[in-house]
Amino acid sequence: MDLARSAETPSPDALPCADGKLGNYLSGDVPDENKWADCVHCGLCLEACPTYLETGHEHQSPRGRVHLIKAVAEGKIGLNESFMDPVFTCLDCRACETACPSNVQVGGLIEEARGQVRRAHPLKGWKGWVSRFFLHGVFPHPGRLEMLGKGLRLLKRSGLSSFARRIGLMKLLPSQLEEMERVTPIPGLPVRKKLPEVVPARGKRKERVALLTGCVMDAVFGDVNEATVRVLTRNGYEVHIPRSQTCCGALHVHAGDREAGRELALRNMEAFSDADHVLVNAAGCGCAMQEYPELFREDPALRQKAEAFAEKVMDVSRFLTRYGFERPKGEIRARASYHDACHLAHGQGVREEPRWILRSIPGLEWVEMANADRCCGSAGIYNLTHPEMAGAVLRRKMEDVPEDAELIPMGNPGCMLQMSVGVLREGRRSKVVHTMELLDRSYRIGDREGKEASSCSDGKSGGWILSSGN
Amino acid sequence: MFGRKKRRLDPLIRQLMEWVGETNVLYRREDLVAYECDGFTLKKGEARAVVFPADTREVAAVVRLLHRENVPFIARGAGTGLSGGATPLGGEVIISLVKMKKLLRVDLDNRIAVVQPGFVNLKLTQSIADRGYYYAPDPSSQYACTIGGNVAENAGGAHCLKYGVTTNHILGAEVVLPDGEVIRIGDEGIPDMPGYDLLGLLTGSEGTLGIVTEITVRILKAPQGKQTLLAYFDDVEEASRAVSDIISAGILPAALEMMDRTAIEAVESANFPVGHPLDIEALLLVEVDGIEAGLKSQVEDITELCRRRNVREVKTARDEKEAAAWWANRKTGFGAMGAISPDYLVQDGVIPRSTLPEVLGKIREISRDTGLRIANIFHAGDGNLHPLILFDERKPGEKERALEAGSRCLKVCAEVGGTITGEHGVGIEKREEMRFVFTKEEIAAQIRLRDVFNPGNLLNPGKGFPQPGRCAEVKQEIKERRMAEG
Repeated sequence: MDLARSAETPSPDALPCADGKLGNYLSGDVPDENKWADCVHCGLCLEACPTYLETGHEHQSPRGRVHLIKAVAEGKIGLNESFMDPVFTCLDCRACETACPSNVQVGGLIEEARGQVRRAHPLKGWKGWVSRFFLHGVFPHPGRLEMLGKGLRLLKRSGLSSFARRIGLMKLLPSQLEEMERVTPIPGLPVRKKLPEVVPARGKRKERVALLTGCVMDAVFGDVNEATVRVLTRNGYEVHIPRSQTCCGALHVHAGDREAGRELALRNMEAFSDADHVLVNAAGCGCAMQEYPELFREDPALRQKAEAFAEKVMDVSRFLTRYGFERPKGEIRARASYHDACHLAHGQGVREEPRWILRSIPGLEWVEMANADRCCGSAGIYNLTHPEMAGAVLRRKMEDVPEDAELIPMGNPGCMLQMSVGVLREGRRSKVVHTMELLDRSYRIGDREGKEASSCSDGKSGGWILSSGN
Repeated sequence: MFGRKKRRLDPLIRQLMEWVGETNVLYRREDLVAYECDGFTLKKGEARAVVFPADTREVAAVVRLLHRENVPFIARGAGTGLSGGATPLGGEVIISLVKMKKLLRVDLDNRIAVVQPGFVNLKLTQSIADRGYYYAPDPSSQYACTIGGNVAENAGGAHCLKYGVTTNHILGAEVVLPDGEVIRIGDEGIPDMPGYDLLGLLTGSEGTLGIVTEITVRILKAPQGKQTLLAYFDDVEEASRAVSDIISAGILPAALEMMDRTAIEAVESANFPVGHPLDIEALLLVEVDGIEAGLKSQVEDITELCRRRNVREVKTARDEKEAAAWWANRKTGFGAMGAISPDYLVQDGVIPRSTLPEVLGKIREISRDTGLRIANIFHAGDGNLHPLILFDERKPGEKERALEAGSRCLKVCAEVGGTITGEHGVGIEKREEMRFVFTKEEIAAQIRLRDVFNPGNLLNPGKGFPQPGRCAEVKQEIKERRMAEG
């Protein structure tokens, strides 16, 4: 089958304003020439790239991928399967962007190329079904997400899942899904359900902020969202949770479905139009929202609107360090080693802020992780689509996680699940937590008089329940 | 299904797969496109396949096979070279050594380390830094380049002024010769073996004499102290004279680097800016190291010498972090060109230090004549110039003008008594320019030497020496291009 299509093939979803054709790309929303013009092929990105480190293959490296994206534009190769593989094997972790001397936006280029590939070759069969089910049927619909969370809660609470595991039913699932199920916590109630649309600040109001609750975050880690809201309100911030907000679209854009990404972006820009600050506690979502302008490259008016919106989006840890937070007083006696989520460190340049916050917690013993900003292999749904590579990347990551770390804090739900799988696979005792959970925990311990000991160095860190619900 | 596919495969690919395994051979067009050049992007060619051997035995087997089948082949490391040494000209099998990336042994008593060729340069220092040791040669690409590649190119780096280039740090090597025979040269702990210095010959042979599969290198004790200085000048000539003054005053800095205005513009608009003023004409980045007690006076002497040359400002790095930022800014300088220009061509001339102002003047003339901007980053201390010629390949004629400008820069270097490459190698890029420094007879003698090791010229053919009749080829190529462009 000749998968290469000529640029003449009219594309049904070409943007109205775009008539630009480029080599073998479909017309409209083509990868941005200026982005690869920045690349001089120096190769300093190679050692930063997890997939290059695993394969040693140039076409699985940042500069190799950029070279291929350029080669399609030059008409040297087609928009075919062999092009698809490197473009989709990329974790989109952006480590190369940190290493790159000349600021090549590799992530943006990859996402644009994926858009092209998916338009030329829509996913078919069960893969297409699964992808459509989640990306279109679930994530953009908060109600259905809630149902999913509810189902998960029921499964976990009722003991059904452990029963199913005991009788071997779970073995029917692909192993990575089975592990994922095991490490998924009993989901708390989503804050969209539990909390009012406006949560008042404790004491005098300093700022009004809006919170993106996220999809996975709210459905699976509702407790993290709740902790985030508690942290914000106690620091004098009034938290708005707009009901009309929706999925940020990161997963859609990563999967090459840019049209859906645009729709969701527009909905969110509308939902948060009154907000002064749009706070996010999921690295991937924050990064995607800051990159909304990329989705509207070909529409100057929307692009401008998206740029104004992106300016307001900020990771919650950065917001707290910029606008101020009360020093936590509750002691947490544990050894902690922080993992930089790619889309925080490489994507948003948020590195020091979570560290400042965590290091302000009394009792916390700090162990800096080697290569803390190296990808864990989660990368959205990459661990499901590329289990082997994700597994290899995770193995390498776990080598860098100090064996004696009791807590592994981080700022992204995808990483939390993946790192928990890592902990499970290696038989470690560390507990994966969100930065906001720890800060909230410390505040609450501090509030309780007598500072009851919360030592998890007694070997029971695994049983440490962060959100005790009181 | 796969079996059928396999039967259709080129029999050579199938045989290669038998030696190294199916997943360690790339042969599809799309996969090979990424290997069509290295860090020198002006010339590209298509390889026939890329193989990834896991050890010396596999390298030898692959080489024996290719030798028997009379198929040309190239060894490749990270592909960060800047003269096209790892670029295929068409039809070669690339032997990529990136999967042979182990640090085999560290012997602190004898101050040596043994590495596989794919081991990344910087990793060596990182692996021994906690014990107070380091590996001295530090090419700017050290974040990614491999020690095998460093041996092939005899790589230099900022600190070569005091510590010497790669050849001064290689003590032994295991080599697969172009017919597949495996030999060892050098002996660890013995500084000089009787007989010819084969190790010296091998280092810098640009992958034309053999493929190194194991390397014994010298490691050094990290100096007790280090000071890093920045000096900003309003005049390039004054800066160049300050360089000569420092050296002739008997000070031997570990590194003495210079960047001109255009280079500063690039690094400051790229990913690792440190806040250099944009209105200066040149800066010097100087590092002195050694016994702590002696450093202060060296810093004072250098500062004074710069003052005499009307420096605008001299400052010393407050701490290691600041010094590291200055170095990251400098070392990513080539890549930073991407921030101000779509393409660049870097040259690598060497000149007597005293001719620096004259040569810089001539480079400015070349820039004017060709209408292309030229940035200058160089290891000023040892007179190793890196003019970076900025161009846009998409604009018709610019690539040709860039090549012409590059060649003219090298001509200038040769004319003032220097030479055409200090550390990047000849590769594809400077083949013709070899004529600036060698006579026909001298070139022929070198080719005869290559033939002793590589008689069939199967290993990295077409590199390092002028090609017979190349001139006619180039004219033909330009003619064809013009016709194609209509």
